Amino acid sequence: MKYEHLFKPLQLNQLTIRNRIMSTAHAEVYAENNLTTERYVRYYEEKAKGGLGLAICGGSSPVSRDQPQQWWSAVDITDDRCIEHFGNLAEAVHRHGAHIMIQATHMGRRNAYWGGDWPHLVSPSGIREPVHRGTAKIIEPHEIQRIIDDFGKAAIRVKQSGLDGMEISCAHQHLVDQFWSPRTNKRTDEWGGSLENRMRFGIEVFRSIREAVGRDFAVGMRMCGEEFHHDGLSHEDFKEIAQAMCETGLIDFISVVGSGADTHNTLANCMPPMALPPEPFIDLAAGIKSVSSVPVMHAQGIRDPMQAERALAEGMVDLVGMTRGMIADPHMVNKIREGKETQIRQCVGANYCIDRQYLGQDVLCVQNAATSRERFMPHQIQRTDGPLRKVVVVGAGPAGCEAARVSAERGHQVVLFERSDAVGGQINLAAQAPQRDQMAGIVRWFDMELKRLGVEVRLNTDADAQAIRAENPDIVVLATGGRPGIEEDPAWGGQSGLAVSSWDVLSGQVPVQDNVLVYDVMGQHAGTGTADYCSNKGARVEIVTPEPKVADDTGGTTFPIFYRRIYGQGILMTPNFWLQRAYQEDDKVIAVLMNEYTEELEEREVDQLIIENGIIPNDGLYWQLREESANGGITEMNELYDHQPQPILAGIPAGQFALFRVGDCISMHNIHGAIYDALRIAKDF
Amino acid sequence: MSSLIVALLAIAVAGFAAGVYRRLALWRQGRAVDLPLSLLLQVPKRYLVDLHHIVARDRYIANTHVAAAGGVVGSFVLLVLVYVLGFKNAFTYGVLWGLLVLGLLGAFFVFKRRQSPPDRLSRGHWAMVPYSLFAFGLGFLGLTIAEANASQGTLALVATVLAIVGVREIAGGALLSRPLKHLLSGSVHLAFHPRQARFDQVGALSTDLRPMDPEAEQYGVGKVSDFEWNRLLSFDACVECGKCQEACPAYAAGQPLNPKKLIQDLVAGMEGRSDQAYAGAGHPGMPVGTHQPGSDGALFPSLLEEQTLYACTTCRACVQACPMMIEHVDAIVDMRRFVALEQGGVPSNAQAVLQTLRNTDTVGGYDLAERANWSVDLQLPIAQPGQHVEVLFWSGESAYELRNQKTLRLVAQLLKKAGVNAAVIGEQELDTGDVARRLGDELLFQNLAERNINYLNTLSFDRILTIDPHVLQALGQEYRAFGADFEVLHHTQLLDQLVHSGDLDLSRALQRGTVTYHDPCYLGRYNGETEAPRRLLDALNLQVAEMERSGMNSRCCGWGGGAAFSDVPGEHRVPDLRMQEIHAVQAKTVAVACPNCMTMLEGVVQDQTEVVDIVELVAEAAGV
Repeated sequence: MKYEHLFKPLQLNQLTIRNRIMSTAHAEVYAENNLTTERYVRYYEEKAKGGLGLAICGGSSPVSRDQPQQWWSAVDITDDRCIEHFGNLAEAVHRHGAHIMIQATHMGRRNAYWGGDWPHLVSPSGIREPVHRGTAKIIEPHEIQRIIDDFGKAAIRVKQSGLDGMEISCAHQHLVDQFWSPRTNKRTDEWGGSLENRMRFGIEVFRSIREAVGRDFAVGMRMCGEEFHHDGLSHEDFKEIAQAMCETGLIDFISVVGSGADTHNTLANCMPPMALPPEPFIDLAAGIKSVSSVPVMHAQGIRDPMQAERALAEGMVDLVGMTRGMIADPHMVNKIREGKETQIRQCVGANYCIDRQYLGQDVLCVQNAATSRERFMPHQIQRTDGPLRKVVVVGAGPAGCEAARVSAERGHQVVLFERSDAVGGQINLAAQAPQRDQMAGIVRWFDMELKRLGVEVRLNTDADAQAIRAENPDIVVLATGGRPGIEEDPAWGGQSGLAVSSWDVLSGQVPVQDNVLVYDVMGQHAGTGTADYCSNKGARVEIVTPEPKVADDTGGTTFPIFYRRIYGQGILMTPNFWLQRAYQEDDKVIAVLMNEYTEELEEREVDQLIIENGIIPNDGLYWQLREESANGGITEMNELYDHQPQPILAGIPAGQFALFRVGDCISMHNIHGAIYDALRIAKDF
Repeated sequence: MSSLIVALLAIAVAGFAAGVYRRLALWRQGRAVDLPLSLLLQVPKRYLVDLHHIVARDRYIANTHVAAAGGVVGSFVLLVLVYVLGFKNAFTYGVLWGLLVLGLLGAFFVFKRRQSPPDRLSRGHWAMVPYSLFAFGLGFLGLTIAEANASQGTLALVATVLAIVGVREIAGGALLSRPLKHLLSGSVHLAFHPRQARFDQVGALSTDLRPMDPEAEQYGVGKVSDFEWNRLLSFDACVECGKCQEACPAYAAGQPLNPKKLIQDLVAGMEGRSDQAYAGAGHPGMPVGTHQPGSDGALFPSLLEEQTLYACTTCRACVQACPMMIEHVDAIVDMRRFVALEQGGVPSNAQAVLQTLRNTDTVGGYDLAERANWSVDLQLPIAQPGQHVEVLFWSGESAYELRNQKTLRLVAQLLKKAGVNAAVIGEQELDTGDVARRLGDELLFQNLAERNINYLNTLSFDRILTIDPHVLQALGQEYRAFGADFEVLHHTQLLDQLVHSGDLDLSRALQRGTVTYHDPCYLGRYNGETEAPRRLLDALNLQVAEMERSGMNSRCCGWGGGAAFSDVPGEHRVPDLRMQEIHAVQAKTVAVACPNCMTMLEGVVQDQTEVVDIVELVAEAAGV
């Protein structure tokens, strides 16, 4: 049988998990008032409906009050008020045949004290945590006992609520593994020193939980497989811990994650971005499995079903976490089941989800705007019951592709004009940067879906107003994107040809020179990606930005990857400088830089000045067409933001068309913004 | 002149009698069968009713046959009346001449049909038939007119020669093994048909595969005399019309099987001669005239080759089409039993499947413990002895295959929605053995049947439900011979009941474009169920286009009879041919009702038509 391992049920204590695909615990940032309310429930229900076997929700849900909960809208298990909401969650997931557990934890020092009850954070030896700037006190024996008891109390709430089990985070240096690791545990009492002493706290925690829930309730632990810190725990140490924990008989499963997480650089490993090879840490999971007597789960960079099937078939793991995979496509499992693998919107590892989460923002998918918006946005677009229309979309970037896709799913006849010779728009440029090539996966999915849905894609066609009218459209969607904004300040020399744009370089139209200055106004992926691209081609590169640091607006798991490249290749970083002007001197370009804070000027003599300043919207067609359109080109704001159909769709006068705009042609947004623009308007076509 | 006519009649009778003697001797090479002679009394009814149902499908040839046969047989009777018994008056002459003219008219239509005969018709002796009939009619017209007018001379001489030619063909057919032997063999065959149930309850029992005695000295049919005598008789009734050839999927695909040729090979075997005299289309890719029975009437491989036997999909389209009610498929399975169990001649791929089935009780070599994995999240319990359920849901081989699991799962979800109390069997469910039986491994089939029946007898249920018509046939029909008495329903039948009882509401409109329905052979021809699926499609308000070959005349997908595993080479693949027919009605969706049809049709490389099981449409409309 195809995927025979993926679809083999697994017995996990009292649970029969229907298949081997799971969503591992992550902080969703959807809880309201720290409760799992409707948005949260619908997010997991969609995955259950989409076929997943097991979900573990509520990444880092605190069991104790001395953990500020607001940073990631953590799910609160410290109080009985959670029980009713967990019940709703369990019911919704069970209705579709899946199971759901919750992760519970005490994060110890891995937090920030300045919020909530302003607690004094606790840690075995009071050593500061770098990523969260978590200063903590040395935990006292009575606090140890209180927290052990808190775990037990939380477990009772979880069991009472109807959730299927509980995972304790002993990974990412939460309190349990802060005790385990010599990096954070310097104690000399019964809680420190020997491994046996360092493991005592964790064992007491599980004992407390078992006493609370009994034997017939799934309880497991998430642990690291290797910290990658010279003073941390090694893979062999973790194997020893795993074996010892199994021998206690207290746990039903182990979920393994590769890499420690208390520095920016190790943190970037935890949710492997596209720069890392596929399934980079599965060998660590396999190593733990070799000593484990309970099923082993593992996520991290397992993106496609073949990979998952192989990992299972080879006996490396017992359950495959495809967490981001199902953020990108919650119906992934059903699509695998139905042989529609090519229709899976596959995670590309852009890490928009996790990079938002580390800023305390709700987790969203770079390519799927319906994720976590299930109340308003459909994952499965239904055919319209209303009139079938002719929809013309201009521009095949992400916004245009999504508008065309959704319109076609609605049953309409769709023509998609694209000026260049391929769909994808700016994503095609983004995929040119080193180690960013997987961005092209977003385009590939659109391309295949447009073909499957029979959208008429007219490439190499610069649609003008006349060409659009000739189609006799009922609806026109302009997704014409923008052009590089390098002419914003004439002193930069963009107009005179002194400076070129990041597009010019990434597209290969302008060859990279020997000595290059990349001026990055935006601090996003494009600027650093361009610098990396030039360096990769052999140029000597300096990247200058007015932002506080280079790649400042790329996110907590992305900037470390850029920095590995920047330092590795000797790219010079010059943050906090504006480009004041540029001028020619012989065959060189002189860039005049001004310090943001001192206003002192500096000059650089380079062969090539490359500017990344986002885009200027292409709005020419809009101004040509708005007068004659049935809605005057106006998108009604309240209806849009309330997720309601645009009023004009109720009746487009014969012979006229409704005109809408989506994406960068209005103002610059990111890929998610472009796709969301298109989905929210086209879902009601 | 009268005495000349009487002499001719005497020759005819004598020749016919000799023919009867010869054919009886040929048939009686076969094994004895316990059937009463009184069955001969059934012939008129069976001829006028049962046979007529089939022949009447082709009105042209039905009318032709009435004219030719009626004219010829009638005029023989009148000739006897007039010339032997002496009833000579204007009326009897009038009737006699009328019948002779009728016979001529029939001969004319036969002649016309044979002007540009379709490929399915045999030539050779058969090409002579219209001329012989002309000779008979004209000869006796001439003789009787001459006699009535008491004239002599050239007319009478010519008429005499013509009449001899005619008598030779008609009365001498049986003796000389010429086409009109079917006058005898066809009639007697109607009386002693190997499957008497065929005439009692149409569709009640669609095959006559008999349990084989495991202690028998020899398994299956390896030589002519291993057939029961009435089977030899049934082959002898063949009129080489080629309706079977036209219906046969293997023949259409250029695989080395022409069912007509197969029957004629067996007739040749019966007559102890080679196939050289055969003047029709051969087995594709094989020369005609090089095959003959071995010593003692042995069939294999000198007369019939194994690949011919194993090209058959057991779809019974030939049986359905045959106007002489010959049942090719049962004979093929009997011969396969010999090839499989005595000679080890099953094609190697299929042999591997049998080996797997023997070792694992599944066709695909799966773990029985995983039989119910497909339903683990559907709250479908595993049936326990002592706990009654309404519906016992047979998982079948689909339990191990994702595409058809979808069908199983949707059926289960619809049952739940309709409030039907159902359970699966779990690891006690073994393969039904259908594939083994069809491939000729009857021992394996019987082993599986007995074990399945034993376990099912420990359970308490009202009916068994299956998505697989092959299971429907095995459990519902063929297990009866081993003492089983289960009510087995196909999912389209149960869903049809649930829709019409109002337990399932199909109110959601489907947008599917043109839909066509592909009848599975084992549901339609084997079990007579062609309407329940169509009623479901009607209830869905779909735009349905019927294919030319549909219902009882549906074309096989190519899976059955182990053919998917034997994989006998041909020019085309059977499912490709069926897909062309699906495309011919411009269907955007083809609904199937069998997991094996699903596998075959989904295996066709094309993107014009989506293949779905009917339940997918039902589920969509029911909002499941």
